[in-house]
Amino acid sequence: MDLLSNLALGFGVVFQVVWMKLSVFGIATAIPVPMNIFFCLMGALIGTLIGVLPGVGPVATIAMLLPITFGLPPVGALIMLAGIYYGAQYGGSTTSILVNIPGEASSVVTTLDGHQMARQGRAGPALAIAAIGSFFAGCVSTVLVAALGAPLTSVALLFGPAEYFALMTLGLVFAVVLAKGSIVKALGMIMMGLLLSSVGSDIETGQSRMAFDVPELSDGIGFVVVAMGVFGFAEIIRNLENTEAGMREIVAAKVTGLMPTLADLKASTGAILRGTTIGSILGILPGGGAVIAAFAAYTFEKKVAKDPSRFGRGAIEGVAAPESANNAAAQTSFIPLLTLGIPPNAVMALMVGAMTIHGIVPGPQVMTKQPDLFWGMIASMWVGNLMLVVINLPLVGLWVRLLRVPYRLMFPAILIFCNIGNYSINNAPFDVGLTAIFGLVGYMLIKLEFEPAPMLLGYVLGPLMEENLRRAMLIARGDPMTFVYRPISAVLLGLAVLLLILAVLPMIRTKRAVVFVESEG
Amino acid sequence: MADGVEASPEGQRGHSVISNPRDFLAGLILLALALFALWAARDLPGMHGFAFGPGTAPRMFAMLLGGFGILIMLTGVLTKGPGVESFAIRGVLLGTVLVVAFVLVSFFSSKLMTSFGFRQGDTVLAALVALVLAIVLARGYDRGPLYVTAGTLIFAGTIRPLGLILASFISIVVCSAGTMEVRWRETVIAAAALTLFCALLFPYALNLPFAFWPRF
Repeated sequence: MDLLSNLALGFGVVFQVVWMKLSVFGIATAIPVPMNIFFCLMGALIGTLIGVLPGVGPVATIAMLLPITFGLPPVGALIMLAGIYYGAQYGGSTTSILVNIPGEASSVVTTLDGHQMARQGRAGPALAIAAIGSFFAGCVSTVLVAALGAPLTSVALLFGPAEYFALMTLGLVFAVVLAKGSIVKALGMIMMGLLLSSVGSDIETGQSRMAFDVPELSDGIGFVVVAMGVFGFAEIIRNLENTEAGMREIVAAKVTGLMPTLADLKASTGAILRGTTIGSILGILPGGGAVIAAFAAYTFEKKVAKDPSRFGRGAIEGVAAPESANNAAAQTSFIPLLTLGIPPNAVMALMVGAMTIHGIVPGPQVMTKQPDLFWGMIASMWVGNLMLVVINLPLVGLWVRLLRVPYRLMFPAILIFCNIGNYSINNAPFDVGLTAIFGLVGYMLIKLEFEPAPMLLGYVLGPLMEENLRRAMLIARGDPMTFVYRPISAVLLGLAVLLLILAVLPMIRTKRAVVFVESEG
Repeated sequence: MADGVEASPEGQRGHSVISNPRDFLAGLILLALALFALWAARDLPGMHGFAFGPGTAPRMFAMLLGGFGILIMLTGVLTKGPGVESFAIRGVLLGTVLVVAFVLVSFFSSKLMTSFGFRQGDTVLAALVALVLAIVLARGYDRGPLYVTAGTLIFAGTIRPLGLILASFISIVVCSAGTMEVRWRETVIAAAALTLFCALLFPYALNLPFAFWPRF
């Protein structure tokens, strides 16, 4: 079995032991330290710590924590980032359940029934079922990623520049169609991201583009600068508009009785299974990922329920299904990234950024050239999920206490960590100042109802898209029809056009509105 | 970004022709940004033969951006919708003023400071100007964007000349002023504790090279 030996390799990497030399009382000894497990644990812990803060979603969390992984070896850094991601995702669910403030769109659904459960004094079971559901979904989707990874990689080898360009276009269109709100605005955001990515040196000629002779801009605008500013800083500035009292209604009751009852488990088994299935499928699609999976799983659960009126009043299935779905989707969204090198959503875009900083170009060649990295990361996903169950359930009390720290003390701390971390990447005060500007930009975008996620995706895909577009055009001797003549690229672009048309059709639009309105009701 | 905001007094509430001022302003900003990019890329060579030049892709992106900007402006005229809170517009505008002032002061004062023998004093002076501007300009809810921007600029301007401890402490205190609910005594204590924590965490635990104290 190829799959098993590959997974074994992966777990070998994750459980890799480094002998740390120490001298105790003058006697030189070496103790075994499972470094990668340690990174994964630290990542999950810090990720939850930041992700649990109200209003800070996974994207913002990863953006803020990117700098701390830069000093690590590549494998360790990516494993830690994966840990941070799962931690942030779970931290978001904790906040949704306890405080009714979803950290990001994918945990909006969790607030509906989760917070109701918490109000009825059942915060413990809600948190536990979220962890158990996520863990189960994680186990299934890890195997799925491992199984689909290899065959999809061989598909990637059929891809030339034209096909890559078409695929990325499709990915961006998916991001547009699934973005909340106006489609034209999302398209505008993508263009803004693409434009931002073209600042710096030209890939082929090295000519400086739109850098205004500022030496710090000759390498382009830093990825961390954009992500941290537009997601982290902008979110914080926006949160400052709310007063403490209006911001959160934290559940006053102590979280007791963590374990769900047998009846709870029975009720949620089906929901977890269905959520995992829906999430795994939707996660593979570019652009969709966790958000749409959580919504779909919740809606589906409501449809199959015997008594749909229970939903919204603390039904445990209403927590189990979306939590499993968003975790499954979070995991399977690694598939397009690892096999094709194309980030399907903003979180994966951040992963690409982190990989590039470590000199890894995501794509099919990673699996063949760096199998330890590829399979190690897949194995670490499972370990990351395990960590969540191990850390979060016993530490719920700690997270609750953290949630009680007033925001007026919390946000300066987050900001200073961001600033020091940001500065330490290049020892560049310029980057810190530029982040302040992007914070203002991001705040304005929020105020004008622009979704920043498509912009980040455009920003990350920009250089790749431009490169492939230029190559494809060069190979075809300047004939743009090459995108239509080549069958794979024609199908992908056709799909993209079809999707856009469908999205613009008014009927679909009202339907989309219904799905998102449901989250508020 | 800034020039788009400044050029749009129509973005305010209550204008008669523009029924959806938020979308109109949004589109206008994208259009302004696109025009700015086209201007910035004006010298870049375009297509030569059938090969893309360095300027081709940026110009393509900018044109599409401008196109979408116009479309969004059209929705701003054709649909009905709310405006943007005036404090948000003020916050972003004044935040931009802070950034511009910071850049200008550090640019023009570097010679002056060197003649005083304080070589890195230019950014310290710029940080001070940003702080004073923030204090003078902040009213109501625009203090969020203003003080966060000022605190970050101050960190950028002081980390090298004043070292980690002073830069962090001042930056934390200034950022804290971003909320109306700031309590000064509590803030100073929290900032001191946080600075100590940062001073232990970053240089020791994460092994990053930082100067602690000012050097002249």
